[in-house]
Amino acid sequence: MPSTPTSSIRLRGLQKTFTSPDPEIGEVHAVGGVDLDIHTGEIVALLGPNGAGKTTTLDMVLGFTNPTSGSVEVFGLDPQTAVLGGRIAAVLQTGGLLRDLTVDETVELIASTHPDPRPAAEVIERAGLTAVRQQRVQSCSGGEQQRLRFALALLGDPDLLVLDEPTTGMDVQARQEFWAAMRAEAEQGRTIVFATHYLQEAEDFAERTVLMANGRVVADGPTDRVRRDASSRRVTARVTDDRIEAVRAELVALDGVRSVTVERGRLLVESNDSDDIARRLLGPLGGTDLEIEAASLETAFIQLTRTGDPS
Amino acid sequence: MTATSLDAAPRTTSTLNTTYYRLELRRVLRDRVTLFFTAGLPAVLYFVFGASPEYGSEPVGDGNVAMWIMIGMAAYGTVSATAGIGGAAAIERMQGWTRQLGLTPLRPSQFVAVKAAVAMTVASFPIVLVYGIGFVTGASAPWHVWLISIVVLMLGAMTFALYGLGFGLAFRSEAAVSAASGALVVMSFFGNIFVPLTGWQLTLAKFTPLYGYVALARRALTGGNTIDPDGGDLIPEALLPVLLNVGFWTTLFAAVTIVLVQRSRGRQ
Repeated sequence: MPSTPTSSIRLRGLQKTFTSPDPEIGEVHAVGGVDLDIHTGEIVALLGPNGAGKTTTLDMVLGFTNPTSGSVEVFGLDPQTAVLGGRIAAVLQTGGLLRDLTVDETVELIASTHPDPRPAAEVIERAGLTAVRQQRVQSCSGGEQQRLRFALALLGDPDLLVLDEPTTGMDVQARQEFWAAMRAEAEQGRTIVFATHYLQEAEDFAERTVLMANGRVVADGPTDRVRRDASSRRVTARVTDDRIEAVRAELVALDGVRSVTVERGRLLVESNDSDDIARRLLGPLGGTDLEIEAASLETAFIQLTRTGDPS
Repeated sequence: MTATSLDAAPRTTSTLNTTYYRLELRRVLRDRVTLFFTAGLPAVLYFVFGASPEYGSEPVGDGNVAMWIMIGMAAYGTVSATAGIGGAAAIERMQGWTRQLGLTPLRPSQFVAVKAAVAMTVASFPIVLVYGIGFVTGASAPWHVWLISIVVLMLGAMTFALYGLGFGLAFRSEAAVSAASGALVVMSFFGNIFVPLTGWQLTLAKFTPLYGYVALARRALTGGNTIDPDGGDLIPEALLPVLLNVGFWTTLFAAVTIVLVQRSRGRQ
């Protein structure tokens, strides 16, 4: 296990451009200049909608594809060297298994590629697969297959675990079990980076969230702060008809206010700083019957990713 | 092959990963249908066309017709076997298994070594079976003909592992890999494998992928001749066109496979 507080992953000016076979589309900038440091022992969520560049970024970290420009270092090494040294492992999104092998055989096969693998029984136990050891992969459920990928990732005793949308296709219970197993690994000091488009997963599991949109990092920090920054709240209050236009004009001019609308005698204010708006409305502005609603996580998500959209 | 336990798995990078090899072989043996088509069918074909008929004992070079047919049927079996292994590798790649291995310390050269060893082993099944039946049912030739033909069959079969791999990479489906194996039957006919061809069919045959392969495998038997089906006599055949045939198709399959592997890498 790592002990020194060094960078696990260091990305500098990372870019990946694909050329589409369709000449009308031309070049696609999947990753458009990412700088990122992930420190040893951190648990980081890479959050973003489909097409944000999460998978492409992780593919470069794992050495599956080379950057068009910029650099990737994993524990100060290039990704291929880190993979060959067994320092980095990943749980693949889908596929990656031979359907005609049993769970046991799959673990045995991947173990044989490592110079000093963790005992097969131990990783099978840890991934909760003991009951299905003799089962063929093709007759395992989606959740079991995903836990098998997880078991394979543990075999090399990696310092860094990369998970790309690890709970895709799992039901709620499988998802909870999966994250419980992952927490146990994190407690041993492994660095864990996972891509997800579920805000809830980032909130429940990651202490730090990196939000990506359109191939760029649009927010990066402690998960609750990222969410708070992203989440606008809606303050509504009743204001008398004769003053409503004046109040609206005053609020629109404030920092952090995204919109102010009037609906059936009530003022609706979307803002980052709901406390300030509430204070003003209840104080000098003379509002009554005030309500504050937190925007849903999904709204927050849309809000933040839209911020990263150049259009 | 010794059975290794998990704890005794090889850990050096220079030797063959015998655990992987053993598990791959187990996968092949589980697939009974493919096994029948690669080993059982050529054996049956030989039994029907080579061992039973009276013309089997007619002389060909230093041996007999049964020997000539036996080498052909074994050739069909070996190419089916290696094309199947190559095609399966393409399907594994499509299903992300190559990515999974890409996350382990296994080097690509070690992967290729395991697959080549498996292909060689599986290619030997039809040879052992067909040659075994041939041996006890009257195929005859001097011992060096048996030996040389086996070596040529084994080495040449690798070309068709590339054929299966290329087909699978190009069409990216299991059905395509089955079609590739099916096409080998047609190619075998036009490769002079099942029956001695004549006239325009023979002229055409000399350009098809399996012709050079089987002609080389039978060369020790025929002593540089080919069977004239009209009279059953041997007529001389130049070595150069046969070598050109093998060289051309091997180069083509290898080049196509390399291009396709590079393209699929770019797509990942």
